[in-house]
Amino acid sequence: MVALLTLLSALPALAQDAAKEPAYRAFPLIGSRLAVWAIAQLHLNFAAFILGVPIFAVIIEIIGWRTGDAQYDWLSHEFVKLTFAAFSTTALLGALLLFLFIGYYPKFWTYMTSIFFPTYGVYAALFFAETFTVYIWYYGWDWLSGSRKWIHVSLGVLSNVFGTAILLVANSWVTFMISPAGVDESGALKGSVWAAINNFTWMPINIHRLIANIVFGGTIAAAYAAFRFLGAKTDEERARYDWMGYIGNFVALSAFIVLPFAGYYLGREIYAFNQTMGITMMGGFMSWLWIIQAILIGVLFMGSNYYLWLGMERIPGSERYRRYVPMLIGILAFGFMVWATPRSMVITLDEARAMGGTHHPVLGFLGVMSAKNTAVNMMILTTFLSFVLYRRANKVSTKPWVGTGMAIQWAALGLAAAVVIFFGVYGYFVESLVRIGFSVYQVLAVLGAIFVVMAIDIPMFKGARSTGAIRWGTIAPRSQYVLILLAVTFTWLMGLMGFARSGIRQHWHVYGIMRDNSVDAVTPAIGYAANMITVVTIAFFALVLFIFWLGGLGEKGRAEAHGHAAPVIAGGSDRRP
Amino acid sequence: MRLPVAVKVGAFALVVMGTYTYYANSIPQIQSKPPAELSLEGGNVTPAQLVKAGEEIFHTKGTCEICHRIGQKGTRAPDLAGIGARAGKTKPGMSAKQYIIESLLQPGAYLVEGYPNIMPQVDKPPIALNRSEVWALTAFLESQGGNVDVTLDDIPKTAGATAGGAPAEIKIPGDPKAGEVVFSTKGACIACHKAGKIGASPVGPDLSQIAKIQTPDYIMKKILDPAGSGTVAGFPKGVMPPMFGQTLTAKEYVDLVAFLLTLK
Ligand code: HEC
Ligand code: HEC
Ligand code: HEM
Repeated sequence: MVALLTLLSALPALAQDAAKEPAYRAFPLIGSRLAVWAIAQLHLNFAAFILGVPIFAVIIEIIGWRTGDAQYDWLSHEFVKLTFAAFSTTALLGALLLFLFIGYYPKFWTYMTSIFFPTYGVYAALFFAETFTVYIWYYGWDWLSGSRKWIHVSLGVLSNVFGTAILLVANSWVTFMISPAGVDESGALKGSVWAAINNFTWMPINIHRLIANIVFGGTIAAAYAAFRFLGAKTDEERARYDWMGYIGNFVALSAFIVLPFAGYYLGREIYAFNQTMGITMMGGFMSWLWIIQAILIGVLFMGSNYYLWLGMERIPGSERYRRYVPMLIGILAFGFMVWATPRSMVITLDEARAMGGTHHPVLGFLGVMSAKNTAVNMMILTTFLSFVLYRRANKVSTKPWVGTGMAIQWAALGLAAAVVIFFGVYGYFVESLVRIGFSVYQVLAVLGAIFVVMAIDIPMFKGARSTGAIRWGTIAPRSQYVLILLAVTFTWLMGLMGFARSGIRQHWHVYGIMRDNSVDAVTPAIGYAANMITVVTIAFFALVLFIFWLGGLGEKGRAEAHGHAAPVIAGGSDRRP
Repeated sequence: MRLPVAVKVGAFALVVMGTYTYYANSIPQIQSKPPAELSLEGGNVTPAQLVKAGEEIFHTKGTCEICHRIGQKGTRAPDLAGIGARAGKTKPGMSAKQYIIESLLQPGAYLVEGYPNIMPQVDKPPIALNRSEVWALTAFLESQGGNVDVTLDDIPKTAGATAGGAPAEIKIPGDPKAGEVVFSTKGACIACHKAGKIGASPVGPDLSQIAKIQTPDYIMKKILDPAGSGTVAGFPKGVMPPMFGQTLTAKEYVDLVAFLLTLK
């Protein structure tokens, strides 16, 4: 932290000298690119974690506060504890990354500084504010309880405001490298730095990342819980971590299902910025990358559903619903196949014609996504259905209108599925221009169905008769491996997308403005990238384990810190998450 | 003896990552190599060498194959087979080499019917070919069914010179506010076009984003010479009136263009 600030204050002087410096230096042994790659990815992993987790930690805290349920308060504290442990590592990696840039890519860094210098101070200040707020949030947990709880919750909210602001600033640098704006052809800033910040990909990446970070935080927290579950000695501990894993996964899943939409928006903006870049990304040398992305996403969908189904087994009364599982598997598997079909998402001549010439060069590529849109929407619906069945597994509604309610729910789901499929198929018979609009109807149908079903479900099962309490802790241990699978897959996916993000610039540091003239200007093929991603992902998990262990978080049977007693979640408790 | 949890979980995670890595290594491996610079100025090259160099650029640095193929239809851009033969007949009064050079340096100046204006200027970043490379590339395209007669002098001196040079953005001195008035009154463009909040007519293309999808050059030319700037696909030819060059005053014209350039 201190190192970071010292460095930042030393920058202007460095920038002046930089003119005399060489453009590149070589990092010993592995070369500069791999060094920067590894540290950047690690830094991003940690940063994503410490920005993502507080978002849902504070929501969980608020739930605990409003319902007076100590269990949620404990869980929130547990999540913040994980964040807290990862804080200094994040800062350290950030400082290291800065060292690498200044030392090994001096010319590049000087250029970035010439544009973004005003933002550096903001970044440092925000980082300070964030650290400080989380510090009080964490250590003030007991002090700010009871009637002062609202102050505590506000601190949580505030730390999220700072965290998100940090993300926005850092994203402006990355996105500028992809889609520079506000500069002339020689790369000099034309007006204010705002134009450079607010470039084509900035907002879409902000949104995509924010959501991805929540998913990431959720999966890592769930994996942590799974790890503790597997090592647990008592039933009580098992029950507690089973529940924590469940919530972590629930958070991840809820954010995960909106990620595809954010992804399309990002892809569209990349096309809008530069056709050639968009085409290189989706159809050029990177086209294979998206097949792997699709497979990983398929694994994530399948895994989350499987986890829910396994979870049902610890719920008495769930037998009623198990017969649906084969059907759900069928839909998912089929959706997965369509989603992963290597049809490159490229505009062909006919499609360009159908689009009406010059008029929709940007939206065109979305159009051919018809089948994939349909598949992913069906997978989202299916996952939601799994969740609904899970929710009601041990409940029998006592409301007189239950028959009607259920009928409406099924009708809503059926209707949404019909709308999705109808527009998916019909999309092939109309011009792309019309078809593009269809994906909006599909999304609306899915969101609408989710809304209707939940709006009925919540009152319908209020005060429902229970067929038995959820036996927390009795879930099959293989479910915990599913949670770990999800965390590993998602982390790996982040690495892969990081490669995509940097790779689309090809031999440019700043696309179209500053060429990469280093020995590493070749953008490697996917296999090489995968090896690298795996190495870094292993390093990430090793570091996480080490840090959690250092922080005493791994100690058996002592889940509480400074007097925070873990609540008992008995195997027979009837808590509804 | 039971294995510790950390070992089991670790092994499991490694297997998962190993599977992904194995898969990623088993599919086609495509690298993206940075382009090399080619300089032919001052040297003696035979047409055959030139064509060869041009072909190389076509496949590599030019990144033309992202959109074009030779002898293969149905891609995003015209099939370039036979371009050397047809280039001389495409635009009246333009020889094959002139047309090809124009296609490369000002792709928006003439659009092949049915294709969107997505081709990048090849001498500007990110493709950023230098003058020699444009020369070689032209020779290669000419060799597709035509005679290779292009010389270095045919390539404008300004080609490829922008790397560190003047900003390409054209500053139009007009007044967009006044231009908007011209658009809806004297110009009567509004009778056929929608432009952002004003107008609704479907006769001509919606111009609401014209500055984003078209170059200033093209827009300026289109108003003066609608028929000579190609026809937007899906719209009838010859409907856009050709006499704006005579009816509008210079000031009105400049204001109008300034207005259109705000539409993005
Ligand atoms: C992003 C896609 C794209 C890239 C990259 C691209 N072009 Fe094009 N090109 C087009 C499109 C679309 C057209 C048709 C519209 C027009 O005339 O501009 C075209 C038209 C042409 C024409 C005129 C064809 C005719 O039949 O009259 C030539 C010649 C040409 N391109 C050559 C090239 C070369 C050489 C390169 C590589 C340096 C290249 N293009 C790169 C999209 C592209
Ligand atoms: C009688 C109807 C009519 C009027 C009046 C008219 N246009 Fe057009 N315009 C068209 C049609 C039809 C097209 C599409 C066919 C073509 O490209 O020639 C077109 C195309 C254009 C385009 C090219 C759009 C693109 O996407 O490439 C521009 C720019 C344009 N008009 C500007 C103007 C301006 C400015 C005026 C007023 C000074 C004007 N038009 C008046 C009918 C009209
Ligand atoms: C279910 C769908 C999707 C999932 C689960 C997903 C997941 C992710 C994740 C985890 C990241 C890393 C975020 C980070 O670094 O903080 C990411 C980044 C990215 N995604 Fe997606 N994505 C999805 C859809 C898409 C689509 C459809 C596109 C493009 C067409 C896309 C393009 C990108 C790009 C270019 C990046 C790099 C930007 C960055 O550095 O943040 N994604 N995605």
